[in-house]
Amino acid sequence: MKLREYEAKNVLKEAGIPVPAGFLIKSAEELTLHFGALGEAFVLKAQVDVGGRGKAGGILMAGKADGIKTAKDLFGRQIKGLPVKEILAEQRLDIQHEYYLSITVDRSSRQPLILFTESGGVDIETTAKKHPEKIRKVIANPLMKEIPPFMLRELVGTSPKEIGPIINRLYHVFLEKDALLAEINPLVTTPQGLFAADAKLIVDDNALGRQGFTVNRDLTDREREAEKHGFSYVELDGSIGVIGNGAGLTMSTLDLIEFYGGKAANFLDVGGGAESERVMNAVRLVGSVPSVKVIVVNLLGGITKCDEVAKGIIAANIPQKVIVRLAGTNEAEGRAMLLAKDYEMLDTMDLVVKKAVEVAA
Amino acid sequence: MIYGDKKTGVLVQGATGKQGEFHIGLMTAYAKQVGGRGVVAGVTPGKGGKEVHGVPVYNTVREAMRDHDISASVIFVPAAAAADAIMEEAHAGIQTIVAITEHIPVHDSMKAIAYAKMEGCSVIGPNCPGLLSPGEVKMGIMPAGLFLRGNVGVISRSGTLTYEVVDELTRAGIGQSTVVGIGGDPVIGQTFIDVLQRFEKDPQTKAVVLIGEVGGNLEEEGAKSTGLPIVAYIAGVSAPPDKRMGHAGAIVEGGEGDARSKIARLKKMGVPVASRPSEIPAHIRGLFKNHC
Repeated sequence: MKLREYEAKNVLKEAGIPVPAGFLIKSAEELTLHFGALGEAFVLKAQVDVGGRGKAGGILMAGKADGIKTAKDLFGRQIKGLPVKEILAEQRLDIQHEYYLSITVDRSSRQPLILFTESGGVDIETTAKKHPEKIRKVIANPLMKEIPPFMLRELVGTSPKEIGPIINRLYHVFLEKDALLAEINPLVTTPQGLFAADAKLIVDDNALGRQGFTVNRDLTDREREAEKHGFSYVELDGSIGVIGNGAGLTMSTLDLIEFYGGKAANFLDVGGGAESERVMNAVRLVGSVPSVKVIVVNLLGGITKCDEVAKGIIAANIPQKVIVRLAGTNEAEGRAMLLAKDYEMLDTMDLVVKKAVEVAA
Repeated sequence: MIYGDKKTGVLVQGATGKQGEFHIGLMTAYAKQVGGRGVVAGVTPGKGGKEVHGVPVYNTVREAMRDHDISASVIFVPAAAAADAIMEEAHAGIQTIVAITEHIPVHDSMKAIAYAKMEGCSVIGPNCPGLLSPGEVKMGIMPAGLFLRGNVGVISRSGTLTYEVVDELTRAGIGQSTVVGIGGDPVIGQTFIDVLQRFEKDPQTKAVVLIGEVGGNLEEEGAKSTGLPIVAYIAGVSAPPDKRMGHAGAIVEGGEGDARSKIARLKKMGVPVASRPSEIPAHIRGLFKNHC
């Protein structure tokens, strides 16, 4: 889950990384309380859970004179469809140079990867494509609690050596907050010293509990409801509902829908060994999506009991057509139950998907 | 066989839990069927002295190792304790550790895998179905009834999709040497590269099916690393960016790891890529015609 900017900055501040003076406000009028600390010129940044908010009009420059008016303007905007409920009002920095610093989980080495470049402020992917030589990389051992000085020297090069301790502090944040990404872009030098002008922290979804989060804000309402049932669920924009067991098989079912010219409405992985109630909940959840015209159920497995699956599909009793591919324990019983209720069953995933695409067309 | 055979003694951690008990039963039945040793001991702290399907349970891995010849293990313990279980086994000297557990925090996996590497042992998973060498050994939860012994290796990031592909291969009369589920997490112990290295040294394996998905570029790294004839299938062509598709590792991030660019890179390397699972057997036949 991606933290909001003010949350990420609070985390950095606690870890000893300087951040600009900033205040979270929930109404334009609150701004007057902070004029003293913010100074003459400041920035207003919408705290919305979307990327690219700057380009979408979510960041505005302001001063003492027009601050309230500008804040009102920003509170009245929608940023990529999201209302602005919170604004981070932040001191404007006198920036001399912009650096980029990040720590991610590297899949190839299975270790933390630290990236540093003197050309900060821009998209790191752009730099990586145009000037890969400008990005310095170091892979750290996750069993180490500190980044050793030689690694810091390799990263920092001829840039100010005060950046070294910042890297170590960001590494502590990365480890302690179960981060998948800890990024400062830009890390800026000013006459007052170094500051993290912007920050991004993504916390591992599997560690949200121990990090003290009760809800995953990256999910939509329906995705969250699905999570309560223990399903992996992703909303898409087609008309064919999909229920599968196992992430790979379910993804493959979506791809097959595209292969045959259809569009999937969702991804739902019901998990292993699904019992009738789980299956019923899954079918009802997908059936409740207004755009869904037909549902493909593709379940394959050793542990999944087909009679339980059949019971669940029948109990869900939804108006849309449900087309089923079932293989596993008690297959014959499950098939007989569904046949008795006139459900359509086909033997392979190619066949069920083809049929569903025809029905949805 | 690449990680074990009939002679391999297997330990199960989390032996007395619902999952552990159920799968000790299935693994033991498979060992009986093929005449192998299978599961020789279980471990659950505080449950030492019990028996599960005739398998003795110990309090610690070291105690179990004292009484039995063990070189591999399967872990079913809950996510919060799974990294510790991996390290306990690595410390005790087990060579191959299969971690079935899902939802282990990535930082725990990173540390446990780094530690296991220092101890010189291989971790398969986490968040994986384990492995099965037909006629030899089953370490994990794969449904044995679908498999047929033969010459094709399978490496996959997923579970049920692997069974789907194995089923397609078996129906087409194409047997498997070893099928390895390497796991759906962003950080996993054995990647495509590691398993392919083992397959290269395995005289039984003549060709390999790589089953990948969105996220990262481990499939391409694997394909680049090997001289073995391979066929690939990549799931998630229709996956939207920045959404986790069930597996923690199945996510297109920062415009990277999407299925189409993976497929394009694999094809550029000359790897045949199936556009759906049912096409895989035909691609394998094509490989055998050209290479063998």
